Amino acid sequence: MTTLQLNNINKYFGTGSSRVHVLKDVNFTAQKGELNLVIGPSGSGKSTFLTIAGGLQTPSTGNVELEGKAVKSMSNRQRDAMRLNKIGFVLQAHNLIPYLTVKEQFQLVKKVKKEHNLTNLSLDVLLKQLDIEELQNKYPGELSGGQNQRVAIARALYTRPDIVLADEPTAALDSERVAEVGKIFQTLAREQDTAVIVVTHDLRLIEFADNVYQIMDGQMTLNNNMKTA
Amino acid sequence: MFLSIKEIKKEKVRYGLIIGMIVLICYLIFILTSLAMGLAQQNTDAIDSWNISSVVLDKDSNTSMTQSMITKDEVKKTKITSKEAYIGQTAVVAKKSGRTNESAQFLGLKDNQFIAKNLVLSSGHKVNKSDQVVVDDKFQTDGYKIGDKIQFNSNNKKYTIVGFTKNAKLNIAPVVYGNISTWKTLKNGNSQVIASAIVSKNANFKTANKQLKTYSISAFISKLPGYSAQNSTFTFMIAFLMIISLIVIAVFLYILTIQKIQNYAVLRAQGIPAKTLVGATISQSITLVVSGLLIGIMLTAITAIAMPAAVPISFNIPILSAIGIGLVLTGLLGSLIPIRIILHVDPVSVIGG
Repeated sequence: MTTLQLNNINKYFGTGSSRVHVLKDVNFTAQKGELNLVIGPSGSGKSTFLTIAGGLQTPSTGNVELEGKAVKSMSNRQRDAMRLNKIGFVLQAHNLIPYLTVKEQFQLVKKVKKEHNLTNLSLDVLLKQLDIEELQNKYPGELSGGQNQRVAIARALYTRPDIVLADEPTAALDSERVAEVGKIFQTLAREQDTAVIVVTHDLRLIEFADNVYQIMDGQMTLNNNMKTA
Repeated sequence: MFLSIKEIKKEKVRYGLIIGMIVLICYLIFILTSLAMGLAQQNTDAIDSWNISSVVLDKDSNTSMTQSMITKDEVKKTKITSKEAYIGQTAVVAKKSGRTNESAQFLGLKDNQFIAKNLVLSSGHKVNKSDQVVVDDKFQTDGYKIGDKIQFNSNNKKYTIVGFTKNAKLNIAPVVYGNISTWKTLKNGNSQVIASAIVSKNANFKTANKQLKTYSISAFISKLPGYSAQNSTFTFMIAFLMIISLIVIAVFLYILTIQKIQNYAVLRAQGIPAKTLVGATISQSITLVVSGLLIGIMLTAITAIAMPAAVPISFNIPILSAIGIGLVLTGLLGSLIPIRIILHVDPVSVIGG
């Protein structure tokens, strides 16, 4: 079942001679139960793709549909609700709130989104899986980069989102942890019927992906041949 | 509230310093206001204790009781009831060897009129004879005792202190209550002069004589020497302090908000509604201001206990409460300034390039 669809997306920044064409006729479909990898170098437009897919900014032309509903027809409040209820963001450089402990990062989400979150039991399982169950009373400043990144992943999954959008989730992790994170995203997609979209330039994640998209100079192509390369 | 409390708990030093600054602002405003109130009160303490509504003076006295003289002829057609009383006022220097000289206001009263009858004493008894006086407790603080014989100015006649009364100040000077005949002696007035003023509990009290004019009590008080100028000065000082406080608090809250933009952008990207972040900012501001205010009130209370009696200070709870509410509203107003930034925070800024 199609969860997220981007049709003929173009995105321009600036005007006149300084206008930059960042995304060029991008078409993308994410199905539930699949892990999609979007691979590209810095400046290729993958972060712009992610922000448009997550409803954080609007495309210059084209349309985004989430579960069949056009995002551009939504009010700001509806987009907030969509991000809170349907999407789990894993942001680059973790971006945890520095004055909340690991436990409080989840409490904050629970205060705003009161229902349909992970149960305490499921959260414990997830934290154990990510090897961060002992860190619940620590502040982000007391954790290593890798630990912070794993907490950010857990926080994104806490709301049981239909779609997970991850921006360089393995940037601060060693190979062993990269494999664990890849496995978690893969399991999440398959066992919880979630559409996972990971934007990265980390080729180590390819082995876990169902689909691999390449983005270069704003043009996106499906390139599943990379999985066997 | 959750976010604001957690942040204050984590950043104890930073928020401790901000609360400390708010404490100092509150304390300064409270003490300055109380000093202003104390000084204003010492101008009118005695008048306030009489519970009067109007004052009749010579129309050429420029609303000054010390400059006013009322003669028998001027009041002969005026009916003086139990609601009216004659007062004779003159400035004196009271002295007794071995004691500090006191610059005081002598007020001559008629024993059978309401001011003398209603006079509340802290010790001793009321004036029965023309050579007796009741004095403000400032005399007691300065070492005077009941039974002391005092002289006024260069006059050789001695008067016995027979009682003390509390908070009897006029124009910041302690009051000496005596007989109106004593006032006439001190004033060297002729036999036609009977008083400086007629005070009345009736706001509409009038005399038939055109040389006399009735003033409302507020008009009379506003014309006390230096009273209006002094009050205006303090009012402006406190008002400017409130405005400066608003600016300082607003600047601090603005800087704090700017420092948190990255965090707010993350939360907005995750779909946390802007109203939750606005609520966190407002509740944090109120928490900081109320905490500072409460500590400021405690410091003011300690100061009130420790303040020497000689310092003219008055802690008027309703006025201080109004100022406290004003400070909380100031903090609230300050917290509203950075709200525009929160509403326009761009979640895209936290997605890397």
